[in-house]
Amino acid sequence: MNYPIWELTTIGGGSLIALIAVLHVYISHLAVGGGLFLWLTDWKGYRENNTDIHAYVKKHTWFFLLLTMVFGGMTGVGIWFIIALVNPAATSSLIHNFVFGWAIEWVFFVGEITALLVYFYYFDKLGRKLRLNVAFLYFLFAWLSLVIINGILTFMLTPGNWLETGNFWDGFFNPTYFPSLIFRTFVTIMIAGLFGYVTTVFLKPSDFRSTIMRYCSKWLLYPLIGLIPAGLWYYWSLPENVRTTNFMLNPQTVPFIQILIITTILIFAFGIFLSLKGNRQVQIIATFVLLIIGLFWMAGFEYSREIARKPYIINEYMYSTSILKTDLEKVNRQGVLKYARWAAVKEVTDANVNEAGREIFNLECLSCHTIDGIRNDILPLTKNITYLGMISQLTGQGKVRTYMPPFAGTARELEALAAYIVGTLQGKDLIMHPEPVETGKTESMPSAFDPKADRYVLLAWNDLGMHCISDSDPWFVLMPPANTLEAQLIRRGEVPELVSDGVELTYRIESGFENPAKHVPFWEFSEQNFGTVLEENTGLFGKGMKGSLTFDEERGGYIASAIPVVPYNDDGSFNPYPLFSLEARDAETGALLVSTQVVAPASTEIGCRNCHEGGWRMNGVAGLSNETAVNILEAHDRLSRTDLLLQANTGQPQQCQACHSDPVMSAEGDSLRLNMSAAMHGWHANYMPVSGAEACVLCHPAYAEGCTRCMRGIHAEIGVTCVDCHGEMNDHALALLKGENGKSSAARLMAALEPDHVETKEEIIPREPWLNEPDCLTCHVDFGPPEQVDAFNVWSENFAELYRNRYDNSGIRCPACHGPTHAEYPAINPMDKTRDVLQPVQYTGQPYPIGANMRCEVCHIITMEDPVHHENMYRMFRNKADLD
Amino acid sequence: MDPVNLIPTPDTIPAPAWLFLVLDLVTFLLHIMVINVVLGGSLLMLFARFGKKDMRASGNIFGVLINKIPTSVALGVNLGVAPLLFLQVIYGHLFYSSSILMGVYWILVIPLLIIAYYSAYVHAKNEKLARIAILITSLLLMYIGFMQVNNLSLMTQPEKWAAYFENRGGTILNVDDPTFIPRYLHFLTASVAIAGLFTALVWSIRTRKNPDAGKNNIANGLRIFGYATVVQVVVGLWFLMAIPSDFILQFMGGNLLFSVVLLVGFLSGIGAIVTAFLGKLRPTVMQLIITMITMIITRQNLRTLYLEEKFQLESLQLAPQYGVLILFLVIFVFGLWSVWYMVKGAITVKEGRAA
Repeated sequence: MNYPIWELTTIGGGSLIALIAVLHVYISHLAVGGGLFLWLTDWKGYRENNTDIHAYVKKHTWFFLLLTMVFGGMTGVGIWFIIALVNPAATSSLIHNFVFGWAIEWVFFVGEITALLVYFYYFDKLGRKLRLNVAFLYFLFAWLSLVIINGILTFMLTPGNWLETGNFWDGFFNPTYFPSLIFRTFVTIMIAGLFGYVTTVFLKPSDFRSTIMRYCSKWLLYPLIGLIPAGLWYYWSLPENVRTTNFMLNPQTVPFIQILIITTILIFAFGIFLSLKGNRQVQIIATFVLLIIGLFWMAGFEYSREIARKPYIINEYMYSTSILKTDLEKVNRQGVLKYARWAAVKEVTDANVNEAGREIFNLECLSCHTIDGIRNDILPLTKNITYLGMISQLTGQGKVRTYMPPFAGTARELEALAAYIVGTLQGKDLIMHPEPVETGKTESMPSAFDPKADRYVLLAWNDLGMHCISDSDPWFVLMPPANTLEAQLIRRGEVPELVSDGVELTYRIESGFENPAKHVPFWEFSEQNFGTVLEENTGLFGKGMKGSLTFDEERGGYIASAIPVVPYNDDGSFNPYPLFSLEARDAETGALLVSTQVVAPASTEIGCRNCHEGGWRMNGVAGLSNETAVNILEAHDRLSRTDLLLQANTGQPQQCQACHSDPVMSAEGDSLRLNMSAAMHGWHANYMPVSGAEACVLCHPAYAEGCTRCMRGIHAEIGVTCVDCHGEMNDHALALLKGENGKSSAARLMAALEPDHVETKEEIIPREPWLNEPDCLTCHVDFGPPEQVDAFNVWSENFAELYRNRYDNSGIRCPACHGPTHAEYPAINPMDKTRDVLQPVQYTGQPYPIGANMRCEVCHIITMEDPVHHENMYRMFRNKADLD
Repeated sequence: MDPVNLIPTPDTIPAPAWLFLVLDLVTFLLHIMVINVVLGGSLLMLFARFGKKDMRASGNIFGVLINKIPTSVALGVNLGVAPLLFLQVIYGHLFYSSSILMGVYWILVIPLLIIAYYSAYVHAKNEKLARIAILITSLLLMYIGFMQVNNLSLMTQPEKWAAYFENRGGTILNVDDPTFIPRYLHFLTASVAIAGLFTALVWSIRTRKNPDAGKNNIANGLRIFGYATVVQVVVGLWFLMAIPSDFILQFMGGNLLFSVVLLVGFLSGIGAIVTAFLGKLRPTVMQLIITMITMIITRQNLRTLYLEEKFQLESLQLAPQYGVLILFLVIFVFGLWSVWYMVKGAITVKEGRAA
């Protein structure tokens, strides 16, 4: 921010730091442990009066000097050079806080170099006492320099109380200082042994050689006993959020931990091998292989330690992007371009979006990502998302996957960055909203009804106003084709009767929709996804595209469940509102009592592709394409460490509910995972870049210019939107997540969400999906006109209490007269105006709820006076004016 | 773009700025003395090698440098750590900026220094490869000096930093500055001069024990110093004339302190040339030390002039850490004692006395 940014788009500054630092740390640990090794071995030589040992020590010292003083020393300066080039802000912070620490370390370096030069160049001349003292001083100074640098290094990961006090000692003696010092001291001893092999292995075969080989093995292996508990102590000294973020959530850490574990085992094995008598050539090769393994061990450890700090460069103080945590609010307000000194543009304008995007990328992404380079190449990472998807990613960045910093800047800057990545780097169009499409046009005619002659009224409805389907069965199933048809048959009279036997109720889907198997691959994969082999065109409960409804005592009506309706007509058109025709016939005589029609709403306009790329599967208007499905599984695999894509590619897809419990699918799932709705809404709420109903329609088929437009009831007509009943996306997600209280992922997803419809998260009442829903009577107190339009946070108690399952005072189900949710009478279907009000028009000639405007004679034949069905029903329909 | 806007905001300092300045200048003086020996010594060796002299012959003037060059690199780099550290405290915000602008060249210093260092050992150990090795060492050390001059001069000229907006790849240099060549030459010739003087010093210690060893070497070393310093004075005048004219006036009387220091250094330098050609080692060394001290102070004064409007040390905010400072001083004394103990021990045994 403060400094210019070196545009290392291919190598990445981090890679350079890693290269120089890992090499340096490997050799510098040798410098410390090797000092101990030289001192103790030289002493051993004196004690045993063994000139062979002294000759060996002198030879080893020359090798040691060449390696540690030249390569080790220079790469140490190299770290200073490179960190100031790649992250000058953090380097400046460290320098200005710890300069005297470094000055002290420098004194130790002076002592170290003097000691080593004196020790080597005067090796033969110094007597025993002086020589051993000089060797000891060398080791002492070397170890003391570790004592110092360890403070500064561990400070970066766990600054401890320094965050409040700014005190040097608080920062230096921080929570991981001692675990790290002890851990590293063991490491220095091991590496001393490891490099001891290098000079020993070239000696001519002899007893002496074998003795020293075994001696080096002891140096290599014994410290492991201390290293492992020290390592565990180090790990458990890290703050919990650091452990969660980087050892659980961050996928980058995994390979380095694996390298660390594997190389530890290999080092142990090689150490044992080299301590045994063996062929000299083989041992030489093994030694050099071990050197490389040691380097990888070092890399694995240092990398894990560095990654553990993400998203910070100095934990809880400065992000990797050099933005101070305390400045975040300021940067979001005034913009990151103004905050940075070296940005070529200070503000995003229409003319400079691309240039601004590039500057912002440099400021906020280049510290960790490359462009078409090595390490964290941004291109493959952003290949499978749209412009809207990129904006969503930036919106949610750092909220759940806390190893990345949150985006810092204004909304306009966020869009400019997204435009740069998606438009310039990926070469895609910048599409913000789904493209408008026309819905199809249909015609429908209500069935016949003679109010004077007909004895029966048949009321039928689909249980849901819209049944959403994911037609991506080869990959996964979120919702299968499964419309549930319900009906109540009323024998007309002064006291009407609900008929429960003696009749046969049948249904038949509209012509052109009888063969759903032709349009969706559901049946090809039903065994994998649902564990049952289904006959084609038959639903999960055995119902086909035509059949009968059975009477259900509990539900007080007739029902046919899970009819596999799909919105694809055989003529190639998309129609999410095919009609069921129903007939009620006398069971004995077969005489037709009454017939009616009802919409079987089913849509595949599932909006994943709006962010996850891939286009539509069918006709350019609906359907989950293969590309989108693959992108979803890839994301899921990466984020949740699953292998769903592999499974699908080998012909074994699953329904999401195999793991995520879901009442609507009667799925128990896996008790550790969030239920389906909590997972979906909880995750995506963190990334949602828009608010209000605009958020809902990014996924659900209610986009005002889409092919379905399922919000079509009276509420939609008068301007009530999703969020008035269900709350904003945040509220909706919080209520679901609170319902999963106790699961760690619920807490993680809730952390960054704030409610809208209530003041605090505590006020939100937990709910289970599909069972606890907003209730009509929250607004329509006593069935009257609404007192206010906010039904959030008051839930139906259970399944039986849902609007679609409730009764009036006489046993009639609410949807029978009022229509299904989201398509309440008078509903206006986008394809033709009559389609969603066929029954009201059939029986009453008007589109309103059955019996509205005091048209009691529909069932009662005569007019009535008492509002028996429910309070406040005895009046004229209120919103007539809005419908013309 | 107003260059002042590009200057990053400095962080707070844990002790007064003058303390870091003094530490910086003192340790830099030590560093540059050793580096002069390393670079100058390498150049002299290069010259001698290509003259096909037998370096190992006991009287050969440059023979004494062979083993000293690698060890001097170690000391020189170590003594460079300290001024680098203290510079970063008071000038870091400027130094990092200029470093980043030339990032590629700057980071290459590290691998090239490693090669130069190993090459110096090859030169000392392997006669067959010695010529090519010392050539490599010399060239690479010259590269490093070249980049140091670039960086430290660019650091004081924020008005040139806007070049970043045309080149973000880290390959911006400052060679077209009128002072660049004289600055660089001033450093190169100093190296040859100091190396010559150092050679004379080493021979003077040797001849104390063995008066017949390398009879003329002291005088020849002094002569190298003398001739190089003559060139140095000329280059110095060129340097003076190349700086912006109002700065020249400051050094010619405008700023009394600046002018006196420069004058003392100049006169001391002339004096050193005279005593060198007269073959008098001790006075030459004393005057040379005075010259070096005054020149380093002058370099700092020039830096202040360049940064006049853009940054003053007084503006740095203090957030004191006196406790750690005292600890550093205590440890520094302990460190000095340890070094003295070890070096004394080494010299004692070298001179054949009992350990």
